[in-house]
Amino acid sequence: MSNFDTIIIGAGHNGLAAATRLAQTGQKVLVLEQGATAGGAIAQSELEPGVFAPRYAHLLMGLGMPEIKTLGLQDHGYTPAVSDMPTIALCPTGRHVVLQGGTVHYADGTPHPDAAAYQTLTKRLTKFAAGIAQISRQAPPALTGGGWRQAVDLGKIGLNMRLQGKDDLREFMRVALSNVYDTVLDEIADGPLAGVLGFDAILGGHMGPRAPGTMLSLLTRMREGAQRSLPKGGMGALAASFTNAAIAAGVEIRCNSTVFEISVTEDRVTGVVLQDGSSLTCGQVLSSLDPKTTMRLSHIRHYDAEMVRRVRHIRTKGAVAKVNLALSEAPKISGLDDSLSAARWVMAPSMDALELGYNGAKYGRLPDDVIFEAVVPSLSDPSITTGNRHVLSAIVQYVPYGLQQGWDSNSNSDLGDRVIAALDKVAPGLADSVTAREVISPQDIEVETGAPGGHWHHGELIADQMLMMRPAPGMERYALPVSGLYLCGASAHPGGDVTALPGLNAANAVLAGLKRKAA
Amino acid sequence: MNKVLKNSPTRQTPVQVPRGLVPTPFHARLEPANITQDWMGWSGFLSARKFQSVESEYFAIRNQATLFDLSPMHKYRIEGPDALTVVNRLLTRDVRKLKDNRVGYAVWCDEDGSTIDDGTIFRFTDTHFRLCCQEPQYTWLCDVAWGFDVTLTDESETVVGLSMQGPTSYSVLKAAGFEGTEGMKPFDIHHFDDGIMISRTGFTGDLGYELWADAEAALPLYDRLMSAGKELGLRPIGYDALNMARIEAGFMVTGVEFQSIHHALRPTRGRTPFDLGLDRLVHFDKGHFNGRRALLQAKEKGPRYALVALEIDGNKPAHQALVYHKGKTEAGLITSALWSPICKRNLALAMLKAPYGIDITADLKVEIYHDKEGKYDRAMVPAKIVDRPFFNNPRRAATPPALC
Repeated sequence: MSNFDTIIIGAGHNGLAAATRLAQTGQKVLVLEQGATAGGAIAQSELEPGVFAPRYAHLLMGLGMPEIKTLGLQDHGYTPAVSDMPTIALCPTGRHVVLQGGTVHYADGTPHPDAAAYQTLTKRLTKFAAGIAQISRQAPPALTGGGWRQAVDLGKIGLNMRLQGKDDLREFMRVALSNVYDTVLDEIADGPLAGVLGFDAILGGHMGPRAPGTMLSLLTRMREGAQRSLPKGGMGALAASFTNAAIAAGVEIRCNSTVFEISVTEDRVTGVVLQDGSSLTCGQVLSSLDPKTTMRLSHIRHYDAEMVRRVRHIRTKGAVAKVNLALSEAPKISGLDDSLSAARWVMAPSMDALELGYNGAKYGRLPDDVIFEAVVPSLSDPSITTGNRHVLSAIVQYVPYGLQQGWDSNSNSDLGDRVIAALDKVAPGLADSVTAREVISPQDIEVETGAPGGHWHHGELIADQMLMMRPAPGMERYALPVSGLYLCGASAHPGGDVTALPGLNAANAVLAGLKRKAA
Repeated sequence: MNKVLKNSPTRQTPVQVPRGLVPTPFHARLEPANITQDWMGWSGFLSARKFQSVESEYFAIRNQATLFDLSPMHKYRIEGPDALTVVNRLLTRDVRKLKDNRVGYAVWCDEDGSTIDDGTIFRFTDTHFRLCCQEPQYTWLCDVAWGFDVTLTDESETVVGLSMQGPTSYSVLKAAGFEGTEGMKPFDIHHFDDGIMISRTGFTGDLGYELWADAEAALPLYDRLMSAGKELGLRPIGYDALNMARIEAGFMVTGVEFQSIHHALRPTRGRTPFDLGLDRLVHFDKGHFNGRRALLQAKEKGPRYALVALEIDGNKPAHQALVYHKGKTEAGLITSALWSPICKRNLALAMLKAPYGIDITADLKVEIYHDKEGKYDRAMVPAKIVDRPFFNNPRRAATPPALC
């Protein structure tokens, strides 16, 4: 029997971030991973020999410099290959819109009529997003019993907002809980440009752009300036940098280790029992899993019925699938300069198209008009494939977890065909160049990563499940009621996407707890 | 056309829901027996407030034997491999210590340690329990049981109950042919071959039993008891008389002595078991139960309220009166009051706000308003805290009980 200060369940980037942070303070930390490799949502898969694809997440947009520095990722192989990646708002009629470095124009170079309105809108939203960014780097203020320090923190945030001026504050209050559909279409006409903003708000969620609260989802995404970047060497290299940073800090990572039970004695965590029957002891356990699974592992009987009810009611219906393609030649979008093929492709022709696409997911159908975000990382970084081949990674939105026909190889194959057909329309010839493909349904995502409902964010990322409501009231500050048990994954504030923030915030909550205990 | 709409169930003619108060399975007998036709609503059922006069019914409880229709009580069957775990998760007391075929008085709390309701838990085996209580609890039980292997059944309408209380109640049982009841101690359960179950429980602090049966067996059971009890003074009674005996016995009623936290709009109206003086029912050493962490904190801080028994000077019942310390500072509120005919004392239950009733127990006065034919007579009457129950007779627990 080995003894650790902290055991972390799940070697996703959040679990690794928490581990690194705790190990940096001298703790003896063990990370247990069910899969064969570390990385979780930033892991990669090998489509065919020599062709690597990001298995789940394929872009970075919320990984901030403070987190990169804290973890020392740059010392362990993380370099952005492309930062501030341009976006192509694809249009089914071929009139694509290019968003690059804050400017907007049509692909043929002609000016976009809403370019100025778009810039004004995004400038304002970016300012609001920066205002709420600081809330992401700390535990959300507790609604009750937080003490003076939390009251001061809350006051600082309010003061910061107030200092932005009366007009800005009013505008913020107006849009913060609004829906992205109305807020954007108030200022720019519906079309691919508006579609991109709508897409950024609902990405990964089971919600349409008209859902109340989607503006806050968008603002959260924009907190690091809404810039996308691609790590050099692909997402696999990013996963490796998280892993290596952890190992360098002294963390032990054990793969192929499934936790069977979190041991609790006298209302306090004492360790974990693994599937193979061995048990490990520790002072605290951090779980990257969602709260329901975490409660089950530590046993429901330790939790009050109200808390179990709140956790049961967290909305975790996934609506995203992943399609990866190995291509024998570089894809070319018709009517677009070749240099822009390496950009982020977004197929969200309009807000209305998004809302209609959501209907399909609501009623359990595969999408007819596929809404997706795709990147061809091999165009920016040839090192991730060999032999002049390319890899295309597509996140397909509005693919329901609860598919009516059920998920099996036929459904996966049907979805793959639909996505390839949609891609072939914008990049003619792409279908013929596909040499290998993988389709990962929401159900596959659930099985592989443990994300409930295959939901990337371990819980819908929308206003009523954010901040002190995330993942559920009473556990918003990472600690569960069982002493020594914490949440450190995407289910916790500030939520999904590759930010490392839930992991780091959870580690800080552990450290603060130990300090309180010592005092 | 999408599939979901096509597959939606066809509209069915709705089943007629009964309107107004529903008669219980005993109504066919109770209705003709009720001279006053003074009925009240109880959990949606027609329930007698009195049959003849409250006084005669009250004295029947203390001198003869009485039948009170308990059917509107909520009854839940909790059955399955995890039944003991679920019941122990629900209640603050340790049900592992309750023996098979025993009944226990219990309270249960929300996550903040505020009391939801009180009631009785019937333990038949460690995989089969019945919870009997005042307030509907089905959805709450579903929440508590989520994730456990138990089946919950609401038996409120399929199981009926008759409370037979009074010094001759045991004799009635014997006369009615219920053999084997002589060895029953208070809180014991006895099963009979015909499906009837008897528990030595009650709400009067007197000798008494509660008889439980399937709804179809209601009338034969009633007739059997009434015919056996003819010479033993057995008669049906209404709620008003029972309530007098209840106060003398010192029992609290949810919604009267305290508000169920599931109904209270103001969170400060919640009362912990400590506020209700039920410390003996909170067992911290049994592992987690609902509200345990909040109750540990509450225990450390000490109670915020105290439910106390008061003996008040004079003979005017102190209904809903305010309690004062030294005649000046408001200390609390009378929740139940009566002039007790058998104790010959003016009695009340009161909810006092700490420190009154805990550290400060002397110099209490009750402000009684007495309606004197259209004019209020106001009096500040001295009161003192006394032990519960007010009425305590050895026959309550005597085993075997005396035959009359």
